[in-house]
Amino acid sequence: MGVFVFLPLVLPVTAWPIVRLAEQHLHPRGAARLLTVVGGLLAVCSTLCLVLLMVVGTAQLPGNPLPDGWSDPEVRAAVPHEKYVGEVSIGALLAVLVAWSLAVAGHFRVRRRAHRSLAGLPDAELAVLPDAAPYAYALPGDSGRRGRVVVSTAMLDHLDADERRVLIAHEQAHLAARHHRFLLLTRLAARANPLLSPLRNAVTYSAERWADEEAAREVGSRRTVARAVAKAALVTRRAHASAPPAFAEPGPVPRRVAALLAPEPPARSWPPTGTAAGLAAWVAAAGTAASALSALIAAAALTAILIAATPL
Amino acid sequence: MGRRKDETGGAAVTQGRKHGRQSPSPPHGHRRAQGELEALILSALREAPAPVTAGWVQEHLGMEFAYTTVMTILTRLHTKGVVSRERDGRAFAWRATSDEAGLAALRMRRVLDSESDRGAVLARFVTGLSSDDELLLRGLLRETAEGSAEGPEE
Repeated sequence: MGVFVFLPLVLPVTAWPIVRLAEQHLHPRGAARLLTVVGGLLAVCSTLCLVLLMVVGTAQLPGNPLPDGWSDPEVRAAVPHEKYVGEVSIGALLAVLVAWSLAVAGHFRVRRRAHRSLAGLPDAELAVLPDAAPYAYALPGDSGRRGRVVVSTAMLDHLDADERRVLIAHEQAHLAARHHRFLLLTRLAARANPLLSPLRNAVTYSAERWADEEAAREVGSRRTVARAVAKAALVTRRAHASAPPAFAEPGPVPRRVAALLAPEPPARSWPPTGTAAGLAAWVAAAGTAASALSALIAAAALTAILIAATPL
Repeated sequence: MGRRKDETGGAAVTQGRKHGRQSPSPPHGHRRAQGELEALILSALREAPAPVTAGWVQEHLGMEFAYTTVMTILTRLHTKGVVSRERDGRAFAWRATSDEAGLAALRMRRVLDSESDRGAVLARFVTGLSSDDELLLRGLLRETAEGSAEGPEE
């Protein structure tokens, strides 16, 4: 089989072009969903591949609990440098498992702690906290507690009535569409294979854009949403001296505002086939599909070899 | 000393005195989360007509918590700056200086400040800006202002 078996580990790279295209040409709702599914699939393939490499690579080590058939020379021939690769995969797999547990534990710890902080407040969806730091976020529900929109008074003070409606509608959209699941899934995918990190960032961005569009529909004015996002970002910026380092391209907030000042993206938008964008989209889609498929095939082939070698 | 002995176990709500100190920890099994307990005790203080003792709070909450528990939570609330205390004879008289929302805000701040994972869980309205972003954003904001001044939106 040769190097073919390593494909699932590196093929996530082929998803990069579709990340850009989906961000540019799909409605954020579609982009978030598509990229989450693609990211999840590629992460599963990549992890499965690691497991199989580890199994094949370590089957011949004395004292392992695996079936004897798995250490047959034919099985080992499927993976180049199987001994070395097997040992490396053990480490990689352990690293992935640890990273996953940390991410999941962290996710639920933040949710639990945030909910506990709100104990004693009236059980309303909107929680306004008297705080001089401007912030606003959606806190997903946790063990029987409803999801909540948490806003600081400092944030509300900087917005007018319409902009406040935008803010709340935006956070409610996060809760209603359960965006935290998208964020957690793509986060786990990026931990399974660091090559999937661009997908994660794109899903985070698309979820924000999605909530922006929902807020625009709710309030009936894209311009008001753009203004609310820009004002909120500027007051938050003033409050936090440490901003992330400047990137070559504009950060997510200016892109969101620019997108809101542009016309609404059509709900079902795939660029027309005739255009350059359309062509690029199809090529990228085909590439991603092919890579996902070959990742699956590689994983399936290794599995099949192992099953064939398993003494019944 | 004699006075304290007399009052030990006294069920009457007596302001300005400490009592029930020796009462054993109630045998209830359920553990409340710290945050709930803080909120509960703060709201008890807010219901009090005047500064009250820890013993009063304990009584007010139906003797559900040990005196030491109440004291611990009161001290913690004091550290957070949401209650004040003044000497009243041998005991402290406690008073709420903030409401439940203020307490929640303090606690939430701590969560936000301490958790590096927060961004991955809490979908925040806006994220940080680089200085280039800020310039760009100010330009866009001017654009929205001009747009809305020129005519009706959309």
